[in-house]
Amino acid sequence: MIDDDSRLNAMLADYRAACPEIEPTVNFMPVLWQRIEGRRGFWFVFQREGRAVMTASAALCVVLLVLNFFYASQTRLNPPTYADALMADHTAEMTYYTEAIRGTSSTQDDVPAR
Amino acid sequence: MLVEQELIEKARAGDAPAFNQLVLAYRKRILGTISRLIGRPEDVEDVAQEVFVRLYYSLDQLRTPEVFEPWLYRLTVNACYDYLRRAKRRGESRMADLSEQQVLLADSLAGGRQQNEDQQKTRVREFVDALFRHVSEEDRLLLTLKEVEGLSLKELEQIYGVNENALKVRLFRARQRVLKAYNNASANGKL
Repeated sequence: MIDDDSRLNAMLADYRAACPEIEPTVNFMPVLWQRIEGRRGFWFVFQREGRAVMTASAALCVVLLVLNFFYASQTRLNPPTYADALMADHTAEMTYYTEAIRGTSSTQDDVPAR
Repeated sequence: MLVEQELIEKARAGDAPAFNQLVLAYRKRILGTISRLIGRPEDVEDVAQEVFVRLYYSLDQLRTPEVFEPWLYRLTVNACYDYLRRAKRRGESRMADLSEQQVLLADSLAGGRQQNEDQQKTRVREFVDALFRHVSEEDRLLLTLKEVEGLSLKELEQIYGVNENALKVRLFRARQRVLKAYNNASANGKL
């Protein structure tokens, strides 16, 4: 086993020594820069900008979540009194006006067209 | 490392001359690695350029300059995988199995005849390449990086993102398969 391993190691060492050194051609760098420039096309810009927009959106979401959490906890700390709650609630008022408008429009609808 | 960390930092910040210097420092090593991984000399430069293009566009994601080399090797291995996958789709074979001709060549190599040094090297390469056919593409790449390129297990861990024990197991199995093929070749008098 050890003998096999050492034989394999020796063979791989020979293999490494037998592998030729690859010399880059003179065109290597110019072609590389051409390819780099070539990738700056529409899709590249689109992807990059898209990524930036996504990051900004994610950051905004986090900020809004933090703010929301902050205000929610503040509200919980100072619960409004019953009177405050009534003052703040305009639902009844709105319902009254809404009903009045609805009532007017339904009366007009009942009049047959001549 | 072949370059100063400062140069990597500059290249990461988008300094084109610094990136150019970085490529000049590493291109020969990368060309050598790719040539051993894909085994097609005519496509080596093309794959190497792809590696450096990917490096250019991903350098800003590099956390620290210390991990630059594993990062570059990772890009190299991925580009080689992509190339081999494309080649497979095109139906090209990387190298032949132990052909009759290679057996004869390996015979003459073992016989220790006086041969031209270049011819001898070619034979060693072809023989080992044929032995490597007995392991999967993934294991061949791993074996080449470890045993031929001389990367440490720590470096491989960073490249593959797999723990050291898993790599050891894979390497052991790959070595066993290659050894088996080697022993078969010896038993059949092919070596």
